[in-house]
Order: sequence, then C-alpha cells, then structure tokens
Amino acid sequence: MTPTRVLTPGESLFLAPRRQWDLVRASSYGFTAVTVLALAVALTLLVWQNLPIWGHSGEGYFTGKNWYFRHQAFGMLPMLYGTIAVSVIALLLAGPIGIGAAVFAGEYLPARARMVMKLMIELLAGIPSVVYGLLGILILRNYVYDSLRAMGMDPLSGDSLLTAGLLLAVMVLPTVMTLADDALRGVSPIQRQAARGLGLSQGQSILFVLLPQAGRGLVAAVLLALGRALGEAIAVFLVVGRQDNQWPRFPFAPDSLINAGQTLASKLGGAETNIAYGDPVHWAAVVGLGLILLSVVITVTLLSAWIQRRGEAHV
Amino acid sequence: MKRILKFVLVACAMMAGCKDDSGGGAGASSASTPGSASAMALKLNGSTTVNLPAAEAAEILRAEKGMNIQMDTHGGSAGGISQLGDGLVQIGMSSKPLSDDDRKKYPKIQFNPIHIGEDAVALIVSKDVWDGGVKTLSKQQAKDIYEGKVTNWKELGGADQRIAFFNKEPGRGTWEVFAHWVYGSPKSAPAVNFPEVGGNEETRNKVASTRGALSQLSSSWADGKTVFALALKADDGQVVEPAPANIATGRYPMSRPLFLLTDGEPARDVKTFVDFLLSARGQALVRKHGYLSLDQLKR
Repeated sequence: MTPTRVLTPGESLFLAPRRQWDLVRASSYGFTAVTVLALAVALTLLVWQNLPIWGHSGEGYFTGKNWYFRHQAFGMLPMLYGTIAVSVIALLLAGPIGIGAAVFAGEYLPARARMVMKLMIELLAGIPSVVYGLLGILILRNYVYDSLRAMGMDPLSGDSLLTAGLLLAVMVLPTVMTLADDALRGVSPIQRQAARGLGLSQGQSILFVLLPQAGRGLVAAVLLALGRALGEAIAVFLVVGRQDNQWPRFPFAPDSLINAGQTLASKLGGAETNIAYGDPVHWAAVVGLGLILLSVVITVTLLSAWIQRRGEAHV
Repeated sequence: MKRILKFVLVACAMMAGCKDDSGGGAGASSASTPGSASAMALKLNGSTTVNLPAAEAAEILRAEKGMNIQMDTHGGSAGGISQLGDGLVQIGMSSKPLSDDDRKKYPKIQFNPIHIGEDAVALIVSKDVWDGGVKTLSKQQAKDIYEGKVTNWKELGGADQRIAFFNKEPGRGTWEVFAHWVYGSPKSAPAVNFPEVGGNEETRNKVASTRGALSQLSSSWADGKTVFALALKADDGQVVEPAPANIATGRYPMSRPLFLLTDGEPARDVKTFVDFLLSARGQALVRKHGYLSLDQLKR
C-alpha cells in the first residue's frame, strides 16, 4: 500500500511537479520581458534625450521661474507649482467626499443599493477625460468665473488653477470612492461586531474602529487618486489657462489660484512639443518635463501599493 | 441640451485633436469599404483652419472613391509641418508659409507647399467690448496690449473693464500672422505671459464667455453674434475691415495663404486629394468656409 502524501500549498495535482520549458511558460516569460523592456527603453530614451538641458540650465531647470523658449530660458518651477496646486485642490475635495460616500454606501445602504451606487460612480471613471474637459469649458469655467465675480473677486477669466482643481476633483472621485469602499470592506466583520458589542453607536464604531482600521487602505486610495490627478493632461489643458511663469507671491496665495496657470501635463499637451523638436536643448527641456512627471507618478503609485500591502499584512 | 451635445461633438473634432472624421462612424469605417483604392490610409494633420475644407473634401473622396483618409489637427500648422517632416502623415495642413528653419529641421523632406486659398486673421473681442464702443485697433494699440502697457479697455475708448487677452499658442499660423503684422517677424515678438488658446473652436468659445476678452482668430470664425472682428487702422489712418474684398486686394494687413504640404510632387492618393481641393468643387469648399478661393485673389 502506497502511503498517502499531503500536497504542499501551491502544488497541483494536475501539473507535473517538474518545471519544464513548454510553450506557455516560454511565451509568458517572453511577454513579461517585453513589458519590462518597454518601460526600460522608454526611461532610457527619456533620460538620454533629457541630458542636454542639464548642461544648458543646470539646477536652474528646477529652480528657474522663467520659461521663454525663444530666449532659451527653461525654468519649470511655476509648472511644478501649478501641478501641485491643482492636485492638492482636487484631493482636498475628492478625498473627504469620496471616503464619505464610501462609508455611506458600505455602512448605511442596503447591499443592492450599494451596488447600484458603486456602479454609477464607477461609470464616472469610464468617461474619457476629453469629455470632462469639454464639460469644464462649457459649464465649470463659466460657473467659477461668475461665482468669483459674485463674491467680489476679479478673475481675468474662468481659466484658473482653481477650475482645473475642481474638475480634477470630479475626475478622481471614482478612484477615491471605489478604493475606499474596498478598504472599508476589508475590515473584518468581527471588528464591527466587537465595536457594537462594546456599546458603541454606529457612528462611533465608524469613526473610532472602522476608519482607523481601514486607514492604510484609505491613504492608498487617496495616493492613487493623486497619481491620476498629477498626470491628467487634456481636461486640465482645456481649463487651466496655460499661462506660463505664474509664480505666486507665496505658495497657495488665493490670487494665484483664481488666475490662469500651467501644469507639467498641460505644457506637454500644448503645441510647444511640435516646435521643440529639432532643437536639442528645447527638446531636452520638454522631454525633462515628461520625465519628471513620469517619475512623480511612478513614485506615488508605488508608494500607494506599498502602503496598501503593509496594511493587508496587518489585518 | 441638443445645442450642447452638438457643441461637444464639434469641439471634440476641432479642439482635442481626436480623430476628425467629421461624419462620425461612416467615415471611420471606410477603411473596410470594398474596392478601397489602397490598404494604406492617407493621413493628414495640421491647421484647424485648413482642416475645415480639407475634412469636407475627405468626406466626399471617401464616399465617391472609397479612399481611406484619416485627419487630425494636433498642434496646428506646426504640428502639420513636423508630422510631415517625421513621415507620420503624407499631407500637412498649414496656415502659414514654411520658414527656412522648418526646411533645415527636416533636410530629407522636399517640402512642396500647394496654395489652396487665403484667409484673414482677425482680432476678435467679446460682445461687451464691442457694445462698449471698441470697434477698431491700430497696430500701435495692438502692440501696447501685447506688451502689457495697456490693460484696460477704457484706455482705448471702451468701458472700464480689464483686457482679458488670450494669446494664440506659438506655432499656430494665426499667431504668426499677428506677429508678422505687429513686429515684422515672429522672431522679433517679445516674450510675454498670457493665457494661451489653441484651436479655433476653443478660442471662440473662451472669448465669447469672458468679459473684456480679446484674441486672434481666423476671421471666418468671427460670427458677429458671440465674437466680433475688429477693423484695423492702417498706418495711413484708414480703417480696414476683414471683409472678403479687402482680403482679396491685400488691403487688410493680416491675411495669410492656406497650404497643403506634400513631400515632393504629389502622387497617387496624395495627388487625388490635392487635385480635388484645387478643382472647382474643392475651391467651392474653400469659399464655403469663409476663405477666399484662388480665383478670388486679385493680386
């Protein structure tokens, strides 16, 4: 009689235990290599084409406040400011609203209504960003313009960092809401029961048990939304005003927010990329904007994934 | 609501540089039309101004000859030139003459500009400025606004309202015509900071919805209802409106030729397209969109 053997986790009854180079395995390695190679080639190309600007502007490329390509002046600081400003406005709005909506859907709505609401919010995520941009032009920029004037302020037009931030808030809302919902779902039912068993009201158990327990997941959700906000080009392009060299008197000065500005992504979406080609320094300056945008988005995304994984390890 | 939807569709085609098939699905699906002349698509990119008659010509050629034509307006004229230079398209659309720099940038390409018509660039203002009494600008006044020396319409005889100037992006044919008129050449124009606008639809929409707004725009887009074309005061004090008669004789100073650009002599599909726009039917399309056809030019 042969002794029975217990399968170790991951071992399968149906596949031969010995690893073999069959077609499936080889092709899956191949496809993975293509993906990794594509990223590596893209990064190498960007870095290589970006080199001339450092010889030309040095650290002034980062710290310079003037960008006049006809005068070979390439300072990106105001664009960095614009990028950060619109993203912060977007997250300040979309963060609380998205998490609030997720709490409402998960804790107060019956399961079926929750699915309907989640579906509708995820539909928002499927709208192409150019459509958001056009709605921004048609509705939002006029609304911002009229509201600010009614409040006694004097914006030059409805194109502003604020308008772009508001539009981005709507665009990243589904990301925050869906991921926050997942994070809240991830909290063990035992925790909820224990909280209620200790006599906490539903409101208290959400505030003191659920939200802290899901904390990491919520931070990850907001970070992923930040990644999307940072990189959004077309929608921002249409409502941000695309005015270069708008350095504020102090960071987040209100007048800088209600006036036109420029972000890294909106600059890259503009006509200048067509002009830059052929002039190594100008081209390097434009490529550098893309490189920096890419690095920031990658960092934020990785950070989000890392926080989420650590969160899961704890639960 | 219908109006908004229509605008979204038009604006989507004009502004965002998304695939401009004008006819929507019908045009896009022509790739698989049986009897298609060639498997390779004829690709065009460039100026939103030239795109209007060209897109309509493409529509006709798709329907009548089963040609597979893809049109895009990414980057305006500079986009047309650079994409032709990079071999991404077979025909570039441009609303500005080629410069020596363009030729130098792409030494392998034998740029062949084909003149298809003429257009005027107007300085356009929003309704409140027009109603406030500003109807003409001189070159000096345009220059003062561009350099930020004049920032309120009351300094120009209008109402007390800040001037919201939207500058056309660099590389746009419209901007270069403006720079030629005010400064003699685009290179002499000073470096300035203004909010920038790109395509014609975007420009018209933003000027129409902003008080005290001013921008440069192809005169055929100035509808006289939401945005208004200012007359220009010539150096001799004469006021010239961007009317067809003044453009044809060259009295209106900011007019510009419209081009299709090819690499060398047009052949096959490229030739079919170019010949069609130069034919009587093609030239009628040029006129239909408010530009001057070649036979209207009296210079």
